[in-house]
Amino acid sequence: MDLRNRLGRVALDRPAVLLVTAAGATRERLAVEAELARRRWPRASGPAAADLVAFAGAPAPAGDDDWAERLWNGVPAPKARVRVRDPEHAAHALEHGRMALLVGAGTQGRQEQREPAGHERHDADGEHPPQHDGHTASGRSEHDGHTTSGPSEHDGHGHDAHQDHGGSHAGTDQGHHGHGGSHPGTDHDHHGHHMGGAILGLPMAERADDRDGLRLDRLHVPLGPALPDWPAGLVVRTELQGDVVQRASVEALVPPRSSRPAFWSEPWLRSAAGAPVTVDEAARRRCAAHLDSVGRFLAVAGWRDPAAVARRARDQVLGGASVADLRSGLRTLTRRVRRSWTLRWLTSGVGVLSSTQAQRYGVTGPALLADGDAYDRLLVWLEEIDRAVDACDDRSPLASHALNGPRGRIAPEAPASRTLVDVLPVLLEGTEFACARLVVASLDPDLDELAPQHARGGHAHG
Amino acid sequence: MRSTAWEPVAVLLAVVVGGVLLLHGVGVAVRAVREPLTTGPFSGGFEPREHPVSRFHVRWYPVTMVFLAFDMEMLFMYPWTKVVPEVGTSAVVEMFLFLGILLAGVGYAWREGAFRWT
Amino acid sequence: MAETAPLWAAVVLPVALVLVAWAAASVDARSAGLGRAVLRLLVQQRRLTRAADVLLVRVGTTLLPVAAVLAAVVLPLGFRSVSDLPDGIVWFNAMEALAWAAVWLTGWGPNSALSLIGGYRFLAQGLAYELPHMLAITTAALGAESLRVGALVDAQAGLWFAVWMPVAFGVYLLSALAMAFWGPFDQPVGTDVAGGAASELAGVDRLLFLGGRWLLFVVAAAFSVPLFLGGGQGPFLPAWAWTVLKTAAVLGLLMWARRRVPTVRMERYVELAWVVLTPLAVAQALVVAVVVLGR
Repeated sequence: MDLRNRLGRVALDRPAVLLVTAAGATRERLAVEAELARRRWPRASGPAAADLVAFAGAPAPAGDDDWAERLWNGVPAPKARVRVRDPEHAAHALEHGRMALLVGAGTQGRQEQREPAGHERHDADGEHPPQHDGHTASGRSEHDGHTTSGPSEHDGHGHDAHQDHGGSHAGTDQGHHGHGGSHPGTDHDHHGHHMGGAILGLPMAERADDRDGLRLDRLHVPLGPALPDWPAGLVVRTELQGDVVQRASVEALVPPRSSRPAFWSEPWLRSAAGAPVTVDEAARRRCAAHLDSVGRFLAVAGWRDPAAVARRARDQVLGGASVADLRSGLRTLTRRVRRSWTLRWLTSGVGVLSSTQAQRYGVTGPALLADGDAYDRLLVWLEEIDRAVDACDDRSPLASHALNGPRGRIAPEAPASRTLVDVLPVLLEGTEFACARLVVASLDPDLDELAPQHARGGHAHG
Repeated sequence: MRSTAWEPVAVLLAVVVGGVLLLHGVGVAVRAVREPLTTGPFSGGFEPREHPVSRFHVRWYPVTMVFLAFDMEMLFMYPWTKVVPEVGTSAVVEMFLFLGILLAGVGYAWREGAFRWT
Repeated sequence: MAETAPLWAAVVLPVALVLVAWAAASVDARSAGLGRAVLRLLVQQRRLTRAADVLLVRVGTTLLPVAAVLAAVVLPLGFRSVSDLPDGIVWFNAMEALAWAAVWLTGWGPNSALSLIGGYRFLAQGLAYELPHMLAITTAALGAESLRVGALVDAQAGLWFAVWMPVAFGVYLLSALAMAFWGPFDQPVGTDVAGGAASELAGVDRLLFLGGRWLLFVVAAAFSVPLFLGGGQGPFLPAWAWTVLKTAAVLGLLMWARRRVPTVRMERYVELAWVVLTPLAVAQALVVAVVVLGR
C-alpha cells in the first residue's frame, strides 16, 4: 500500500493537463499555457489522457447539458480539476491541482484519511480569499457544490469519491451517462434498453444520402468545445458519414454577458470607445493574435515544432519584448513556414473562400484579404505579423477611424468573428474530417467577441 | 534446422505475451482505483446521438481494389527473388511485363480519380 | 557468417528493444521524465467507453507491441539474430502488417467517433505505404538473391545496398515512418482527432499501444540497417557496435525529419504513393534485376 502511494506521488508530480477554455477566457488561457510551458507539464489531448483538468474561465453550459461535468466524469482516476478565473491565479491554481493530486495519491485506499485532505483543500482556499470569493459569487462553481454537498463531491479528489462508492460505482455511472448522452432536442430515453434498436439508451446509426449519391450510415457528432487546438466555446454539430462532414451547424457557447472586452480586439474596442490607444499597443496585439492563430493552425496541421515556436513568440510579444529581439525570431519563423512546400501541398485547396463569397457573408479582415484557401489565409497572417512587428515601437496614437482588428472590422454590435462563424457551415460541408479541422483553424473565429458586453470600458489586464 | 529456427520465435512470443500480462498485473497492483470507469465517447464534450460504431464510409474503396491486385502479385515476387539468376532473362522479362500491366492499371485508376477523395 | 544467438537472447531482445525505444522517446521529447509518464499510466484507473468492445481493444493494444517484437526476431545485432529465419524478410513483412489489424481494432473497439476515424485512417495509410514498402524490401532481397536477412547482410560486405538502390532505401524509410504511424505519418493518432485510435485509451491499454508504437518505430528503423546499410559490416569497430551506430543514425535522421514536416494526410499522400513512389520502386527493382542477371 505504501509503495502504491509513493508511486502515485512520483507519477503525478508532473500531471498531464487537459486545458478547457471557455469563451471570454483568452487571458486565462494564455496565462495557463505559459505556466504549463514553464513547468513543462505534458498536455493531454482528451479526458482519457488527462490527470488534471484546468478550466480557464467558467464553461458555459448548452441548455441543460453540463458538458464540462461530463468531460470531468470521463477522466480516469487519479484526477483533479481546477478553475482559473483570473490570469494572475494560473500558477497558483495549477500548483493547487498538483497538490490535490499528490494528496489524493497519498491518501488513496485509506478512507479515513480523506478528511484531512479536505481540510488541506480548505486551508489552501483560505489563503487566497479573493479567488474563493470569486468562486462563490459566480453561483455555479464547484467550490459551492463541494462545500454544500460535502466530501463526496470533492473536486480535487475525484477518485476519493470513487473509492467511497466502491462496487456500486459502475452502476451509478451508467445511469449518469445515459442522461448525459441525451441531447437537448432529442428524446430522453435514459434507460432505453427496451427501446427498439437502442442499446444503452442510444440508437445505432441510420442511413442517409451522401454527397456521392450513395446511402450510408450517418452519425450526428458534435465537435468541440474542448477539442485540442479548437476555438474556445465553439460547437460544430456535424453529420458524419465515415470521416466526411455531410452537414454542419454551428453553435457558440458564450457567457451570457462579459464584463471585459474581447482580449484580441481590446485595443481597437477601447479606441472606438474614445480611450487613447497607441499604435504599438495595437500592433503588438495584432501580432500576438495572429501568432496564436498560426500556432493553432500549425498544431492542427500536425507541425508541432513551429507551432510551439509561434506560441512562445506570442507570449514574448505580449510580454513586451523589444522590437529588435522580436524581429529576428519572427522573421525566422515566418520564413520557415512560408518555405515549407509540404505545408503548402497539404493545406492548399482546403476551405476555399473567394472574396465575393466572403463579402456576401460580411467577412472582413484576413479571411477576406486572402481570397482563397486555408494556405492563403495563413500567408495573410504571416504577412500581417511581419508588418505588425515593425510597428511595435511606434508610440503615436492610433487613428480612431477605420478600425481593423486581427479578425476584421471592429464593430461591437456586429463582431468580425460572427461573420466567420456564419461562413463555417458552408465551408465545412463535404470536407473530410482533417480538412474540416484545418478550415476551422484557418478562420479561427474568436468567440470572445460574441459575448455581449455590459460594462463600459475594459479593466486592467495582464 | 527447421524446428530449431522457430524455437526462439516461440520463446519470444511467450516472453512478450508474458510481459504484456505482467504489465497488466502491475497496473492492477498499483492503480489508484480498481473499478473501471465507464464513460461516454469523447468528441469535445458533447456526445453523439448514435453509437459511433457504424458502416464507415470508406471513400478509398477503389484504392483497396487496386491494392489487392498488387498484393497478390507480391506473393509471386517473394519467391521470384530467389530464382532470378537460375531462370535467367525470361524471369525478369515475365515479372516486369506483369508489373507493367499492373502499372498501366494504376495509370487508368489515376485518370479515373481513384486516388483522390476530397 | 550469420549465426543464431543462444536461446536466452529471446529474453534479452524485448528488454533491449524497450531500452532503445525508451532512449529514442526521451531524446524526442527532450526530457528525462519518461519514467514518470509511464508510471502515470500505470496508476491510472481503467477506462471503458459505453458499449465498447473491450475484447477488440485488448487484442489491438496487445497485438501492436507483440507484432513489433516478433518482427525483431530476424533483426541481427552484428551478425547474430535471435533466429535467422530462412524467409526472414517475409516474416518481418507479415509481422509489420499485423499493425493494420492492431490499430484498426483499437480504433473500432471503444465505440467512439474520433477513435473510429483514427482507426480507418491507418487502413488508408496502409494502402498508401505498403506497396512501395514491399517493393523496396523485395528489391533488397533480389540484390542478395535470398530472403534470409543474414544472407542480405553478407551480400553487402563490399557495397551497401543503400548506395546502389537509393530509391528503395528512401522508400523504405518513408514506409518505416508510415507503418509506425509516427512523425509526419501520425494522422491515425493525430491531435486533430484528439488522439485518434488512442483517444479513448487510458492506463495500461494506452501504455501498451503507445509503447508498442515506439517499439514498432524502432524495429522498422533498425531493420533498414541489415536491409540497406550493411548490417554489422564496417571497419575497426566490432560488428555489434556498427549495428548500434547505424541504427542510432537512422533513428536520428527520422526524428529530425519529423520536426521538418507537418502531418501528411492520406487523401493527398495516396496519390503520390501510387503514381510516383510505386513506379519508382518498380523501376528500381528492374535496375537491380538487370544487375543481378549480369553478374
